[in-house]
Amino acid sequence: MHKKLDDYLEEISHYLTDADEREEILSELRSHVLERAEQDGGDDEAVGRAIASLGRPRQVAEKYLDDRPIIAPALRRYLFRYTSLLFAIHMVFIGLAVAIGRSYIVFPFLFVPRLGIIDAVMYLPMALLADFGLVALILYFVTRSRRDVRLPWPKLALDLDRANPRTVGSMVANLLGGGIMLAIAWLLFQFTRTHGAIFLLRIRPGDFQPLLRPDPGHLLSWIVITLLLAGALEHFIKAFARSPLVRCTITAAGDGFTLLLIAAALSVLGPDMFTADVPARLHIWLYKSLVWILLVTALIVAVDLVANLVRLGRRRLSR
Amino acid sequence: MDNEFASIETEMKRGFLQLLVLVVLEKEAYGYAMVRAFRELGYEVEENTLYPLLRRLEKRGLVEGKWEVGEERPRKFYAVTQAGRDLRRELLAIWDRQDEIIRKTVKESKNA
Repeated sequence: MHKKLDDYLEEISHYLTDADEREEILSELRSHVLERAEQDGGDDEAVGRAIASLGRPRQVAEKYLDDRPIIAPALRRYLFRYTSLLFAIHMVFIGLAVAIGRSYIVFPFLFVPRLGIIDAVMYLPMALLADFGLVALILYFVTRSRRDVRLPWPKLALDLDRANPRTVGSMVANLLGGGIMLAIAWLLFQFTRTHGAIFLLRIRPGDFQPLLRPDPGHLLSWIVITLLLAGALEHFIKAFARSPLVRCTITAAGDGFTLLLIAAALSVLGPDMFTADVPARLHIWLYKSLVWILLVTALIVAVDLVANLVRLGRRRLSR
Repeated sequence: MDNEFASIETEMKRGFLQLLVLVVLEKEAYGYAMVRAFRELGYEVEENTLYPLLRRLEKRGLVEGKWEVGEERPRKFYAVTQAGRDLRRELLAIWDRQDEIIRKTVKESKNA
């Protein structure tokens, strides 16, 4: 009868989610428009004016809908916090998958395939979207539960001065830590010069047999010594640097260097790297244990690296 | 400034309209009749606000609606329930208290 009114109500009905309510809402709006139009002349133009005074279909429909958010306002900051943390972890594993040329299934939801550098760059946006979607889904269910869930978040000291205070205690600790690391590096260096590697089995007093075959054993020994030397250097610089910015930059650089060396170590590891002196049944077990120890260490270092980059980023922003 | 005014006015109207509806519906009425009654009182209500509000009040049991189909066209009439009356009494007490506070504060600030 009134095509304009029918079209208008039809459009409103598209936006109404509750099917039980829909017909009743539309009937009431129809009755309203017709009565108003009747008092305004009763022609098609009057119907048009009555429709215009109600407003656009979507605007009308939205007033009937619960304004319950998909993610509660109080939880929105966690969407970005958790996504950035998850993506940082994801990136570390993508980096490792590229460095050592293997696929990873780390969590039930996290599969990182074997990737080349170009593949990895193409894979990153997908990883970000997947992380964002997963976190959004969890927060959606938390919102739906309507419970006062206190979501965990590590208390990172994101302020440079708070994170890297320069006190007499920290200076002594850095000097002591750097000195101990330097001493251990020197001892291991001497050991490597004498025996060719630091990974040895002590059969009898003074009688050492290599635990690893010469190539991986030698390389892994140098990686450990380099890590200790880099750690010592980092501690010495932090002991004497006055600027928190320098101390934070050094820590971030140290974390980055450590991650590179861990990736190098992972690329050397393999179940066939042990010598005949190690029982064969232990090869796989030892290899897997070493891989997991290195992966967990990489994760801890990566979290510290992200925290330090955030601190540096905040300093740049505040300037 | 105009946006600020419109935003605050919308918030003030939201609570006011709920109370007004609970007062007016002591005598049953349908939506468009209420729009006209409010207009005669000098209060312009957005039609797309009134109908969803009536629906929410009905869902919460504060008003009840029933369709009258015998007339020229079907109309949904609403009337306040006992729960609506109890709530209205409390809301009017708050309204009076707030009105008194505002008047007193404005008077004091003028005298200061």
